[in-house]
Amino acid sequence: MIRFSIDSSSSVPVFQQVIQAIKLEILSGRLQNGDQLPPIRELAKILKLNPNTVAKAYYTLEEEGFIESKRGSGNWVNTKNMKLDSFRRGMLEDEFRLFLDRALMLGAGLEDIKNLMERYAANE
Amino acid sequence: MNENVLEVRNLKVRFGKKVALGDIDVQFRKGESVVIAGSNGAGKSTLLRCLAGVIHPDKGQILYAKDVPREKIAFISDGLSLFENMTLKQGLDFHLRTFHIHDPDESFFQQLKFSLNQKIKSLSVGERTLYHLSLLLSQKPAVLLIDEIIHAVDPYLREKFLEAVIEAIDKYGTTMITINHTFSEIQNIPERVLMMEGGRFILDEKSESLKAKIKKVVTDVELPAEIPFVFKKESVVGKEYFVYPFQDDFRRKYPYDFQSLELGEIIKALIGGEYAKKRMS
Repeated sequence: MIRFSIDSSSSVPVFQQVIQAIKLEILSGRLQNGDQLPPIRELAKILKLNPNTVAKAYYTLEEEGFIESKRGSGNWVNTKNMKLDSFRRGMLEDEFRLFLDRALMLGAGLEDIKNLMERYAANE
Repeated sequence: MNENVLEVRNLKVRFGKKVALGDIDVQFRKGESVVIAGSNGAGKSTLLRCLAGVIHPDKGQILYAKDVPREKIAFISDGLSLFENMTLKQGLDFHLRTFHIHDPDESFFQQLKFSLNQKIKSLSVGERTLYHLSLLLSQKPAVLLIDEIIHAVDPYLREKFLEAVIEAIDKYGTTMITINHTFSEIQNIPERVLMMEGGRFILDEKSESLKAKIKKVVTDVELPAEIPFVFKKESVVGKEYFVYPFQDDFRRKYPYDFQSLELGEIIKALIGGEYAKKRMS
């Protein structure tokens, strides 16, 4: 099932955090096409969120085509017509930009970052 | 979603010479969760008691939507009004009779797993609070008014309490209006924050936009005058500024770390700011 928690002090709105977390589950393959998402009420209880917040996140995911809601029976992952690779790349770029911002704030140069990446790649 | 469930117009309440509520106007929408914050004596409880019909205002109107009958308005405060010598079952029957509830939802009782044959006085304070809440939820409330009650409840029952409230919001589209000092658990529930001071509203903001507007800066120097703040805390270690209203270009212009805050901390800072103002005047 979905593995994530909400950071209440984050400047990212809570419903966006829910959206990001579910997208990550889908893009990483932990949630697959045809899997059922937890009911709104249950996810709200687990995360201690207002059910309206979870509903808003599900609705947005449906608009973006990640999930399909069937009336009365719940919400299902639907990635049949999705280009998951391009979403994955987009998300990677977002994460990388955040990392770069912080690294540059620390005063790191591009050379430092490159060296670091090479060192980590060698260790893997 | 945008339908009002409750509208308050020109509400005034006085206790002797003291003005408890001075000309309050406010609307609440269907299914909305609102928290009313403010220092002690700001008028929060008086307002909630007016909405519940427990006290009559000196002036003004409280208008509930047409589809909200009296028995769909549920009110709970820390002065829990329960007959201690009744059993839990008798208490429930009494509640249903008193409020003319013909089709109660008793599922909340089943979740509690209390024996219905024990007397109410055998429950602890926290259990009573939860028992009282399930009495109210059996009404399938359209409006749930909660006056700071979870401070007496232990962490486990608090979670149960919160889950019951979340279920009610989803099941019945309940509008929840709470007064809270203890925030850690419920902080992601309220969608809107109302701040009161001296019997008036001084702030009415969506939780998300309030979070975007207030940031904390920890520093050992004075902030430049262009950065407005509501509250400042000083200690030997440094100064904490609660910047409000925060603008995004502060980040570009100034080298400070503007930290985001949880709702509880934000409200603490706003209340602290009001106390600081009072000291100055």
